[in-house]
Amino acid sequence: MHILISIDDTDEMKRDGIEVRGTGELAGMIAARIEERGWGRCEPVTRHQLLVHPDIPYTSHNSAMCFAAHIAAHRLQDITALAGDFLWAESAPGSDPGLCIVVPERVLMPGWLMSFAFMAKNVVLTKDEAYELAGALGIHLSEHGGTGDGVIGAMAGAGLRFSGNDGRFRGKLKFKSADNTLTVREICSRTIVEQVKSIKDGRVLDWEERVLLGEGPKAVLMNGLAVMLVESCTGDESCWWQTCSKSQVKAY
Amino acid sequence: MWIINERGEQVFAQGQSAWAAAAQQANLCPAFKADDEDEWVADQAISCYNCAYRRWTQDSFVCCKPSLRDKSSA
Repeated sequence: MHILISIDDTDEMKRDGIEVRGTGELAGMIAARIEERGWGRCEPVTRHQLLVHPDIPYTSHNSAMCFAAHIAAHRLQDITALAGDFLWAESAPGSDPGLCIVVPERVLMPGWLMSFAFMAKNVVLTKDEAYELAGALGIHLSEHGGTGDGVIGAMAGAGLRFSGNDGRFRGKLKFKSADNTLTVREICSRTIVEQVKSIKDGRVLDWEERVLLGEGPKAVLMNGLAVMLVESCTGDESCWWQTCSKSQVKAY
Repeated sequence: MWIINERGEQVFAQGQSAWAAAAQQANLCPAFKADDEDEWVADQAISCYNCAYRRWTQDSFVCCKPSLRDKSSA
């Protein structure tokens, strides 16, 4: 069984001298615990930007984190309990954590979920609206502290991941290359990247095209694939392409 | 470079794409603390845009760094 696990609003503003784990780190820890218990195999975490608005009590950036897991169906309840207990125990004091678990094959109106998710990037939504939709679609939604407002972002995160067309993958892509270049084939065989695309026109690069690797490139979620975006190379005639910078992929 | 909004918060007046100015301010700031790398948006590592104490707004961000007064009384 394929499921999506999404969390939001687990952190608070960092205070002087006190380390606060980000929502992305907590999502990664839940994924690691599922795998440690042998309950399933988890995919990388994606970060989904939601609306920044004065009426939304976000911490600093209002992003939700989501990952997919492939599990045995009889472990669904165990995983729901594990994730919920984890949020109670590990979320920051003063945060408003929410958890959403979607079984995509059981969602009969996937467009409703995706509409809610993309609306959450542009419109202020309410908890009541989130619960109403979750009830209609048979989606798990639960609060784990504070006001529980994080359920809105958690469901939006799941819907955006479900859409296959939103967000950045958590973590830097790491490469080893003597001359700081790799072919598309090498990039795809050594990292989570499944496709390399031009940010200018969306052209998919061929396997043997060579890319100059910049500082900490990110993969983004496009058409259900982990995609690395590149731009035309400037200044290095041995390469046609170079990875996009953080400022270039911040819109994803 | 900064303005004070109606809530008394310190708002970066240059918006969300003033890369050089945000880097310059962070390099001058003793309270700069890098946020999780996944939340970085600036190419310069030390930038207000990558700081754990920035809170994004629709047009810019609010600086939420602990004040020197808070530090001395802590």
